[in-house]
Amino acid sequence: MLGLASIMLVLVSSVVIGVWGVRAARSTPDFLVASRSIVPGWNALAIAGEYVSAASVLGLAGLLVKNGVGAMWYAVGFTAGYVLVAALVAGPMRRSGAYTVPDFAEYRLGSPRIRRMCGLVVLVIMLLYLLPQFKAAGVVLELVSGIPYWIGVIGAGLVVSSTIAVGGMRSATYVQAFHYLVKLAFIAGPAIVLIVLAGSERREAALATTGPDPDWARPLLDLDGSGHSVLATVSVLTATTLGAMGLPHVVMRFHTVAGARAARRVAVSVIVLLSLFYLFPVVYGLLGRIAVPDPEETDVVPVLVPQAIAPGTVGAVLTALVAAGAFAAFLSTSSGLLLALAGGLSHDLFGGSLSKLRMGVLAGTALAVVLSLPAADVDINVLVGWAFAVAASTFCPLLTLGIWWRGLTATGATAGLLVGAASSTGAALASVILDLPPGTWSILLAQPALWTVPLAFAVMAAASRPSAVPDWAGEAVLRLHVPGRNQVSGESAVIYGGDESGRLPARGPASAGLRQAGR
Amino acid sequence: MGRLSHLSGRPPMPLTAIDLEAAERALRRQRRLAVRTALSLLIALAALLTAAAVIPGRLGWAVLFFAPYPVLLALAALHVRRAEQVEDDHDRDGP
Repeated sequence: MLGLASIMLVLVSSVVIGVWGVRAARSTPDFLVASRSIVPGWNALAIAGEYVSAASVLGLAGLLVKNGVGAMWYAVGFTAGYVLVAALVAGPMRRSGAYTVPDFAEYRLGSPRIRRMCGLVVLVIMLLYLLPQFKAAGVVLELVSGIPYWIGVIGAGLVVSSTIAVGGMRSATYVQAFHYLVKLAFIAGPAIVLIVLAGSERREAALATTGPDPDWARPLLDLDGSGHSVLATVSVLTATTLGAMGLPHVVMRFHTVAGARAARRVAVSVIVLLSLFYLFPVVYGLLGRIAVPDPEETDVVPVLVPQAIAPGTVGAVLTALVAAGAFAAFLSTSSGLLLALAGGLSHDLFGGSLSKLRMGVLAGTALAVVLSLPAADVDINVLVGWAFAVAASTFCPLLTLGIWWRGLTATGATAGLLVGAASSTGAALASVILDLPPGTWSILLAQPALWTVPLAFAVMAAASRPSAVPDWAGEAVLRLHVPGRNQVSGESAVIYGGDESGRLPARGPASAGLRQAGR
Repeated sequence: MGRLSHLSGRPPMPLTAIDLEAAERALRRQRRLAVRTALSLLIALAALLTAAAVIPGRLGWAVLFFAPYPVLLALAALHVRRAEQVEDDHDRDGP
């Protein structure tokens, strides 16, 4: 009951902060990107808050217990992605003035068709990412309160969609910043207390690197004992590092900062915040191995550990805190994802208005809830890993080549997106359906990024014929890299209420429609 | 949604002119920098992976649990500083 109460407390405070943040969410730019008036510090907190999902709060420790300490390579990849975000994407994307990845694709390639394709890819990535979040909400609620899984999932869907539909991203920013702090406090605090309460004997046991299973203790990732742990680790690192670059909801966040410089700096701050957080899942994983060595559901290990280490009131209080932290992870990530999904559904696919965007949030939630009901048995990190692999095989090459190489054409991008999306989702599906014996092939299907990313890059480059490069492509690329402090055109300054940031706005048909809809 | 710019296939760009030559120089420098950072990241991750695989016992764990984050932060911070220098040079010399 304590667990449920603490979850309710997180929920109520989120709604209060959300409502407080609603004040100005009246137009679509407001709703989607808070009219770019969000302070960098809040933004870094919000990005980290949105990014530290159930995969990090619950999945990492569970995977560590199940597969070995190498599970922490996921955390390394999740963080390393932001080095590339800072170096390759943040600044130029911000200068493009596009709201979403599809917006950017249209700005850079001048083709409305590619915008719709990108909208579809956004849907796939966001859904793959949303499912495990709802699963997490369901299993945690079930564990702390006994509510059946499906009721928990539906309830979580109602809560999230209603907070977003009312507030949009402005409210999401403050809520997500708050959630980062909740997650850090409610995961780090109990972790430190648990280290103390565990006592020296259990601490020693948790840190024992020798044991019956030497593979478990080896700091490399292996999939079901395939014997190719270096290959598996490299493939997971590829997916997570490059995938972070192409996650639509992360990219979208950078439009809420003041300018290109601020966008880069925000990416660096995010690395600091992530590094701080990722020190703690290890504690739950290592203590979990000795305290709950054989859990029925590995994804709830962090919630089980407190009671196993400190039975009684202290354990109950710590459990409640961790459960609340896990629920905060669900709330913040799923609201960020839903916003991007709704953007994909309405804005990119149907050129929508604010009311369509709100409908998009509801439709996206319904879809995610329905799909996550049968996903109860899939590991959180497996699904999240696939979302990253798809992002790495589609938007990572699109953004990298689009920003840095003027030779990319709409045809090349389309071909690359198709091949990347088909190969990465196809491999993931095949790994489920074929159920190959552990070995090289099973890794290359279950963690396909290692070959699908180079393939997508190669197809994009090869299918971009030099003769098909339009004469404006050079300028479109150059504008992404010109500091251009003095180059805000008068019109955009008026439209956006005097943004002085040096943004070079893109004006796709949908964003033109958006501005009208916003009035 | 008919719009003039799309009749010519050109994506919408602001009407203000930019100095294409100065921009070209800035792009080249930024691109070199980006490639350098990406390669450094690759080398750093490869080194960390090798260290974790080779070093036995708790030290190997520590390499995985703690060592990557300061390295990643340093790479990103260094990149941002250099990228801002390129922009400052651009602002000073031209447009």
